[in-house]
Amino acid sequence: MILIRPCRASDLAGIESVVNQNTSRVSSLPRDRDKLSERIDHSQRSFDQDPDLEGQEFFLFVMEDTESGEVLGTAGINMNRDKSRPFYNYRLDELIHSSPKLGVHTAVPVLYLTHELTGSTVLSSFSIKKEVRDSDYFDLLARSRMLFLRQFKEQFASQVAVEIQGVHGDNDASAFWDSLGRHFFDMDFATADYYSGIKSRTFIAEMMPQHPIYVPLLSQTAQEVLGEADRRTERTCALLYKEGFKKSKYVDIFDGGPTLLADLAGLRSVSQAQDKQIRCSDVHTGLRFLVANHSFEDFRCCITQITDGIGDILRLDASVADRLRVQDGDSISYVAL
Amino acid sequence: MMIIRPICSSDLDALYQLAKGAGVGVTTLPANAELLAERITLSEKSFKRRLPRERANYMFALEDTEAGRIVGVSAIEAYVGADDVWYNYRLSKSVNASKEIGVHTTNETLYLTNDLTGCSEVCSLFLDADYRHSQNGRLLSKCRFLFMREYPDLFSEKVIAEMRGYSDAQGRSPFWEALGRKFFGMDFSQADYLSGLGNKSFVAELMPKYPIYLAFLNEDAQRVVGEVHENTRPALEMLKGEGFNFNGFVDIFDAGPIVECFVRNVRAVRESTLRHALVSQKTPPVHDDSRFYLVTNCGLENFRAILVTAEAVEYDTVAISPEAAQNLDVKMGDALRIIPLRYKENR
Repeated sequence: MILIRPCRASDLAGIESVVNQNTSRVSSLPRDRDKLSERIDHSQRSFDQDPDLEGQEFFLFVMEDTESGEVLGTAGINMNRDKSRPFYNYRLDELIHSSPKLGVHTAVPVLYLTHELTGSTVLSSFSIKKEVRDSDYFDLLARSRMLFLRQFKEQFASQVAVEIQGVHGDNDASAFWDSLGRHFFDMDFATADYYSGIKSRTFIAEMMPQHPIYVPLLSQTAQEVLGEADRRTERTCALLYKEGFKKSKYVDIFDGGPTLLADLAGLRSVSQAQDKQIRCSDVHTGLRFLVANHSFEDFRCCITQITDGIGDILRLDASVADRLRVQDGDSISYVAL
Repeated sequence: MMIIRPICSSDLDALYQLAKGAGVGVTTLPANAELLAERITLSEKSFKRRLPRERANYMFALEDTEAGRIVGVSAIEAYVGADDVWYNYRLSKSVNASKEIGVHTTNETLYLTNDLTGCSEVCSLFLDADYRHSQNGRLLSKCRFLFMREYPDLFSEKVIAEMRGYSDAQGRSPFWEALGRKFFGMDFSQADYLSGLGNKSFVAELMPKYPIYLAFLNEDAQRVVGEVHENTRPALEMLKGEGFNFNGFVDIFDAGPIVECFVRNVRAVRESTLRHALVSQKTPPVHDDSRFYLVTNCGLENFRAILVTAEAVEYDTVAISPEAAQNLDVKMGDALRIIPLRYKENR
């Protein structure tokens, strides 16, 4: 069975193999064993509700094949309320330059460095192995976090953000970075991204130019990729749009990728999910649903078939209930796959 | 004889012809008869001291007395930015450094400023192509400093000069192409012309207000920041000889340098001296390797300047012909202010 659960220290090697296999950018999960180990520890303390972490919690979930014990993917949630680590983006605005006398009116796009998304919940660290990338487990991995957010929504901000990888060419080069950030760092995108993962994103962001950037002064290619998602993120974007995320005027400061925003309560997986008490049985029929338990520190979620009747009780296969660590009378959340 | 005198209304036609020949880059001399007439009126009022100090603009004309027409002009704006907004870019540095990740980058950054507001400006120097010889350009330029020396109260403490920036043979400014065009949507020559019309509000309306990182401009544009037009190089050298410095201010359109100097430190101001006029039928002749002195009559409304050979300058007198005395509007014994046209070390 494929199961979502909080990561543990013993997942280090498994997570490493997921991150290393992934070609796209997951800077919040660096390809560095020590740093990965720190992230796992950070997540564990967050699930344990360590008061020292208040506001900077990071929840990392893994998708595990319970048969083989293999880690098939990772997905994270950043609480992102830590004022010592502002969350930087560019906000793409337009300035109207207008001379009535000359009849010249131009709307000039300008990028403003901003940290106004600090405090929004950020979905991050999404990484999935090739062999399950084109299966329903992609949806399981991506959407299980939304069930978690739903159940503990009073702890999270009402606004949820996801940063989508911008357009990258060969060797991970970014035309946006080459036209903008590179002048200030004198290093290629991959190196800057590495430091962003090692040091912190905020650290790098605070070295970015402080003045607004006139978009027409960037290279033609940089202007073209501004706010555009890399084609490798197509499936992620499709899923997020379906959930209710929308493109915002915020873009990533490094590669110009779009930041998608949504209202937590308005997410499809949140608004359409229901809760019911379960009774264990051996039914194997019905539609496929995402099913999650109500535990914070031992959150679990998987795909299973259930028949959603009109009663208050939901029958759940005993082995699934066992995996979700629920018993007769416990409540679970479920939403159609 | 070539003489300098304040411009007057009868010079309008000649001035218009000059302006037509001035071309792109001489912002303060647009070929527009109406505006040129206004300039002349402004100058006439200024010399008569009928304007508040800040509004004054003194325009000097170089007249060929034999031809009976003016062949060049130069001017002093008493106080820039008095009734419009005076813009320059200031070239600054932004340094980005972190030892931890081994970054140390310096980015030149242009800041839009009004910092030079209130300075006096030497400007509008233009000379007919047929007269670009025999020290005429130097005479036109330098006479202004002797005028300022005589009447410091009419001017600010600091004087600036905007030097024409680099443009290619077609009048294309790489800096304008990389920056201004993207915001103004027009040719450099048009923007330059509009700016010369005196209505600078369109600059405020269309110019980018935020600092510009030079790295975002193409290399051609970066290279010409603070560079003068080839034809302006001699003028720049002359001003440097007078003590003018480039301190990072450049023109917002073509990135030509603005050089500046305290009036009291201008060499012609510091080193000029007074002599008595010695009107004589016998004055030393000009020969091929003559050195020249610029001589003024110390006048305001009747300001005049001419060149004499160095041999005419004695310990306390300057020998001038009756014709020169007439042109200078002086009599025997009147005070004259003099300065070598070229200094010894850069003769």
